[in-house]
Amino acid sequence: MELAAPFDMSQPAISRHIKVLSDAGLILQRVEGTKRPCRLAPEALSDIDRWLAMLRDALTKNYDRLDALLAGMDSDDPNSTGKDKK
Amino acid sequence: MSKLTLKTEGDTHVVVTRRFHASPEKVYRAHVEPELLKKWLLGPEGWTMPVCINDARPGGKIRYEWSDGKGGGFSLTGEFISLEPYSRIVHVERMHLPDPTPDNHVETRFEPDGKGTLMTVRMTLPDAATREAMLATGMADGMEQSYQRLEKVIA
Repeated sequence: MELAAPFDMSQPAISRHIKVLSDAGLILQRVEGTKRPCRLAPEALSDIDRWLAMLRDALTKNYDRLDALLAGMDSDDPNSTGKDKK
Repeated sequence: MSKLTLKTEGDTHVVVTRRFHASPEKVYRAHVEPELLKKWLLGPEGWTMPVCINDARPGGKIRYEWSDGKGGGFSLTGEFISLEPYSRIVHVERMHLPDPTPDNHVETRFEPDGKGTLMTVRMTLPDAATREAMLATGMADGMEQSYQRLEKVIA
């Protein structure tokens, strides 16, 4: 089975994993004769991925601003060079 | 530069790490002093934080209000559970979109990392309805609209 090829796992083990993913709604399977082609369920993955991407974007912006703020705070470190405020 | 890592932990939590070139004391203070928070806890460009109440002691109240500068915005309320200067803050918060979201339990740790700080934030992963509500607020700053355009293209 093509899906099993990259993994060091038996085909029955792969089939069990596929069933878990399918039951969770993360992959969709068709029936084509003896084949069971799988594809990722776009709605299921994109929900959490979209939210995580939004969180990552918001946090990146916030923490970049925090970097600038921290660089300008009064130094309690004698080794600090006293960086310019951005 | 100082890279952010963000991942889910099971299906209940999100863990974020970020390194800073400043001492744990400074990073901790930036998380509890309102005059500092208002300068960075803003989300997308163009947003401001007109209200920042942060009573930094166990049971102390948290209230933040953000404005997008165009008449929109939202708020967050919460309470501190424990604070250990300068290493750990535990608090609970919820957003008002305008309806309150379920409580989000957040634990923030600040550890020395050379001359800097490794910050780790562990928070509750919101449920699907809350995630959708958050995506709809405009916090995504255009990223959400981009995803919607992309979904139409690949459908």
